[in-house]
Amino acid sequence: MDISILGGPILGIIPLGDIVLYFTPFNLFMFAAALAFTALIAISSTESQVEAEFGTLKNREVKVDKAEFKLRRFLAIVCGLATAGAMVTGDLFDFTLFVTLIGIVNIGIVAAVKEIDVLDAAFQYGLIAMIGTLPLFGGAALILASTGTISLLQIVQIPYTTSLMLFGSILFFLGVAGETGVAPFFATKAEMFRTPGSPFLLIIHLSSLLIIVRTIEILLIINKPF
Amino acid sequence: MKLGRIWNKLATPKRIPRFYSIIVGIVLVAGFIVPMAYDNHQLYPRPTPQLQIDEQDPFAPYDRGGTPLTAPGIVKSQYPQFAAKQGYVTGYLSPISILVSNTTLYFGTSIYSSPGGLIDEILYYSRGFDTVLESSILMMAFVVASWVALNFTMKRKED
Repeated sequence: MDISILGGPILGIIPLGDIVLYFTPFNLFMFAAALAFTALIAISSTESQVEAEFGTLKNREVKVDKAEFKLRRFLAIVCGLATAGAMVTGDLFDFTLFVTLIGIVNIGIVAAVKEIDVLDAAFQYGLIAMIGTLPLFGGAALILASTGTISLLQIVQIPYTTSLMLFGSILFFLGVAGETGVAPFFATKAEMFRTPGSPFLLIIHLSSLLIIVRTIEILLIINKPF
Repeated sequence: MKLGRIWNKLATPKRIPRFYSIIVGIVLVAGFIVPMAYDNHQLYPRPTPQLQIDEQDPFAPYDRGGTPLTAPGIVKSQYPQFAAKQGYVTGYLSPISILVSNTTLYFGTSIYSSPGGLIDEILYYSRGFDTVLESSILMMAFVVASWVALNFTMKRKED
């Protein structure tokens, strides 16, 4: 499937040797969304949060210690930057590395809570992220073996689809699901978003959503179902 | 059993990794029946197996030719127009490597076989951005691990 049908005309490329980043309006929009959310995380002071009181018209201010969220905030910013990078990269292996970076940062975000239940969930998520690297890199390697290239701009010019490409894509999708797709489940199970002072943890949801959308675009580029 | 019950039982953090690894295992086993149709125009071509060994080449099987800074060796890249100086350091040998390659025929399979070489060119030149990402993944892993180690989250219940 052509890139211009999926994402619009290619506005420009950034060549970094063999790794060529390309911009289409679709990718650029997701790139800007991820970057804007990351900028909001970086400049907002989330440690004081205003909540509406029940039964009255007053507001209540909830303050938390700044030190507690230092690491999680830093990891959230890195997660946002990695998401933004994954949106515009035109190289399959580069994309898998961005996904792995998001996965390891998500483990950190979930693990940096000093509660036993949350840490148990973080441990399970760490397991699934580690299992997920096998199908993720295995799928990317199979796509490289069956197409001979990992540059998406080259893969899109291949007119046929072999069954090995399809199998590699399934493995690749499973890997992405394990690395970032299940992260919102663990974060929600641990009730992390309702903790005062940490609305920026929604970056887990945003990155997972954007990565899945971009993965589907990449799989359409590789397999050309239409 | 009702479907809602199954969903509820599944939505436990402990069960998800098992469920996921079962799916991965099934897909991997199903991969045995997928025909292995590899692409013949691979990005990094190789000479015929054993060819360089039969020629008594000390760099076998990794000889790619080339003189450092004057003649490029055989290193293919996806976009040669973006990597103009490709292959110019492939033939580089450190003094120790020259010494060893003059004494033995098995230099190519030894641990110091790639002093400048193909691996470094792909890592740091034509695919250099990957190296940046890989080291940032490693750095983030160390950040998380050191935070967990410093804050002793494991001994939380004893506080």
